[in-house]
Amino acid sequence: MGITIAMAAGVMLILALIMSVILGWANKAFAVDVDPKITAIDEVLPAANCGACGFIGCGEYSEGVVKEGAPVNLCPVGGAMVAKMIANIMGVKVEAGFPAKAIVKCAASYDEKAGRCEYLGERTCASAELVANIQSCTYGCIGFGDCVKVCKFDAIDIINGKVVVDYEKCVGCKACEKACPRGVISMMPMKDDEMFVVACNNKDFGKDVKKVCSIGCIGCKMCTKVDGSIIEMQGDMAVIDYDKYDAKTSVAPLQAAAEKCPVKIIVKVGNAGGK
Amino acid sequence: MVTTDTGNSGKRNFAGGVHPSGHKGLAADSIIEVLPTPATVTIPMSHHIGAPCEALTKPKQELAIGELIGSSKAFISAPIHASVNGVAGMVCSVTLPTGKRVKAVPVKAAENQPDAREVYNDFFKGDYPTSGLEQYVPEAITEAVKSAGITGMGGATFPTFVKFLKNEKKPIDTLLVNGCECEPYLTSDYRLMVEAPLAVLCGALLAARACGARNIVIAIEDNKPLAIDAMRRAAKSTGITIMELPTKYPQGSEKQTILSALGRRVPGGALPLDVGVVVINVGTASTIARAVTRGKPLTHRIVSVTGDGIKHPKNILAPIGASYADLIEHCGGLTDDTARVVSGGPMMGFTVGDLTSPITKGTSGITVLVQQDVEAPPETNCVRCGKCVDACPMNLVPTRIALASRYRQWELTDTYHISSCIECGCCSYVCPANIPLVQLIKTGKALKTKK
Repeated sequence: MGITIAMAAGVMLILALIMSVILGWANKAFAVDVDPKITAIDEVLPAANCGACGFIGCGEYSEGVVKEGAPVNLCPVGGAMVAKMIANIMGVKVEAGFPAKAIVKCAASYDEKAGRCEYLGERTCASAELVANIQSCTYGCIGFGDCVKVCKFDAIDIINGKVVVDYEKCVGCKACEKACPRGVISMMPMKDDEMFVVACNNKDFGKDVKKVCSIGCIGCKMCTKVDGSIIEMQGDMAVIDYDKYDAKTSVAPLQAAAEKCPVKIIVKVGNAGGK
Repeated sequence: MVTTDTGNSGKRNFAGGVHPSGHKGLAADSIIEVLPTPATVTIPMSHHIGAPCEALTKPKQELAIGELIGSSKAFISAPIHASVNGVAGMVCSVTLPTGKRVKAVPVKAAENQPDAREVYNDFFKGDYPTSGLEQYVPEAITEAVKSAGITGMGGATFPTFVKFLKNEKKPIDTLLVNGCECEPYLTSDYRLMVEAPLAVLCGALLAARACGARNIVIAIEDNKPLAIDAMRRAAKSTGITIMELPTKYPQGSEKQTILSALGRRVPGGALPLDVGVVVINVGTASTIARAVTRGKPLTHRIVSVTGDGIKHPKNILAPIGASYADLIEHCGGLTDDTARVVSGGPMMGFTVGDLTSPITKGTSGITVLVQQDVEAPPETNCVRCGKCVDACPMNLVPTRIALASRYRQWELTDTYHISSCIECGCCSYVCPANIPLVQLIKTGKALKTKK
């Protein structure tokens, strides 16, 4: 009896020894070299996997930084802090950038959107866009919230037909920009706590805009004539050139332009109040 | 892929399809009326599939009917002509019921307009020859069709001359003239065949000369006995076959008509010319006849203004660019329980949100629906009954495509051949769960092209 137990134990022990040798060898022979930098970067990334950097997820981005030399400041969720940490890991310097945030180029609520029709189909903007005359303005927000559905950060909401962005939560991942079938949402560099936005996307001639919306940009060019204005006309639509925007010098002329605007469509957005 | 069989060996039918009630009686017996010239017409610069036209007019320029007002240098495009005598205004933008936002030229009508009787006779009566057409050279016919700005009048608005261009590898043996008019309510093609069979036949013969087809078949659904009679009587000794097809939606859809009438199946992603066929609508045929024999461009079209929501349903010959409101007003206006104004028929038509928008070369009808026509219970879950599968004339599985499209599974939509869908709406029509199947599929197609 005692011998049987001792033999079984001995066999197991020998087997264990042989296996451990094989495992030990395999560990070295089949080892995959992972750059310690990739692991390090992976750890500092926020793991939101939102895809805003252009890579599929955070893991792919950290590989991209190390192997393909992708810029270190692509993560909008982590912002400047994460960019700095990645830069430290990679031993490079990062230039101070501005976080991108979503701006909505339509400020019309249901009261201002003229000619809204009864709609019984699929309640998404992408489907409603196929139905002509869902509302008279063919450029403005439809208001079924495709942007709300794709936002992973709960930063966007629709209140009475008007899209409202929470600039505390918005990380500039561009998901809403891609989801909007009419291109109403775009990204701007947030160079200040509060920024000015021309909240209209209607590219038509003023008379045609007037017919469809009471607060649409009519292309009167008043805002471009203010001293030091950084507003340009693109066709019949006013557009702020954010590349020229400077937190110190641009605010006053934009404020003046906003006051001159006959339809009051140059609005302030941002953390401190606004829309 | 090309069949050598030039016989008309179709089984007169296709799998799938639905039988919606026709409602054709509303306007079927009303003789085509000429719309009194409206005060202004707004002529869009893009009616067709292809490049939009550039407006050639200056504000306050005087225009005569048929004067060229828009053209494009692009290959696939169709020029646009003034449809009334009048004065051009400043170029503006209009939204068409198809959702396109396009430039348009408003024309303020002058006082001297042709008499209604004169216009009617010019379009439908007089001598449309059905023999001795040898004097028209094929290339000259194609050129005349091109410069007259003729596009498919059945609704798809593809520039017609492109179909006539010779292709060495794909010879055309049959011209199929589509007089099915399978959409419920619409009667414009029917009235045309009854009132002006010679114009249709003349146009068909000219089109066949242009594309080199020896065999001409005119397909008509069997719910139009008067049209079949009129066409048969007129077509004696022309060698044209008038073929009766069973009434079923979408019998008039290009691929289904070819299958029914000729027994040829157009493969997915292919065009009728791949099986040696050119298909034109009867309205297009009559316009071709007028353009070639009388040298007149496409300026007017027949529009059925019908449905229970219209006081006096009529078929109207209207100048392109007249507004929906002008036509509706001429028919006595809307009734009180009107719920929807649809451009085209109820199955594939587009809802018109703004009655001031203009009719185009592709507006075959205005269907005004009342509340009881449009009532739909809310959507419920798919019960996998397979009704849409039975109804699909393209032998697809609509429910799978629609759901894959709703959840943005693009690879799955390809597996189920989303691109083969002809958007006829049979699936939505039969769905007991009221899932907007065809809308979801259309959304999927639109989003995929955008990607």
